[in-house]
Amino acid sequence: MMTSNIETIPGFTITKSLGVVSGSTVRAKHIGKDILAGLKNIIGGELKAYTELLMEARTEALGRMMMDASQRGANAVVNVRFATSSVAGGAAELFAYGTGVIIVEG
Amino acid sequence: MLLNYSHTALASLLSKGDSLNSDEIGELLGLSVAILLGVLFIVFPFFAFIYSMLFARFHQGKYQKQLLARESFVMEQLGEDNLHTLSNPITDRKINESRLLVANITVGPSWWQLFLGGIRSIFGGNIVSFDKVLAYGRSEVMQRLREQAIGEGWDEVLNVRVETSMVMNKVQGGKMNKRGTLEFLAYGTGIR
Repeated sequence: MMTSNIETIPGFTITKSLGVVSGSTVRAKHIGKDILAGLKNIIGGELKAYTELLMEARTEALGRMMMDASQRGANAVVNVRFATSSVAGGAAELFAYGTGVIIVEG
Repeated sequence: MLLNYSHTALASLLSKGDSLNSDEIGELLGLSVAILLGVLFIVFPFFAFIYSMLFARFHQGKYQKQLLARESFVMEQLGEDNLHTLSNPITDRKINESRLLVANITVGPSWWQLFLGGIRSIFGGNIVSFDKVLAYGRSEVMQRLREQAIGEGWDEVLNVRVETSMVMNKVQGGKMNKRGTLEFLAYGTGIR
């Protein structure tokens, strides 16, 4: 499955568009990590625990998006966008969406 | 409950004088540990705040310096920035392969900066302490995307987008995002 956030996949031609494909995941933080991040917060700067947590969740959202695309018979997703929102206390929703397309070489 | 318990324990200790048995020593030990923990919970935030006031600048300056060194190193290696916000390469070139690249970072201001920001928001105006944190986060995430691209062998990254969002908000108690945690996300299409 090829992905890009531009309108095409360079070197390929899009033959058919299959509509919007999306994947999302909601993650809550781990209490232990939260305490560690709270300690790190005293001096400010990067909070590594959250960075890793969110990256992991985003990878999962991307994976679900690709699953959705392959279920529709697409072999590439173009124009991928991300959205993040806080849905509940201490949880984040990560959402990835794009256009599922069928591409051929050339 | 604990107070009553401590009273009886202390009373029994006082009445018996120096003839303590092992049970009473154990009780006394438990009591002192409980008191110590209580004091720690009260004192710790205070010292943490003082530490934040004095040393946060030093720690953040260190991260900033590391970032600048990495940025200049990449610039020396490549001669030009490999991130572009255009969706087509500027020079006419052949593209063999492409893929989506994603990098992120979560940053938060220090307690002292949060405190300053809180004071600032009474009068309004530019919050200098938050500016620094945001600027650091944004340049760090772009630097990560650059390094990821170089590490995986991509020549250029097209259509780079940077997004900011508040994460890990605390909704309970009506205090939204008590810690001011922000996530920066940078993504683009790597080509080679």
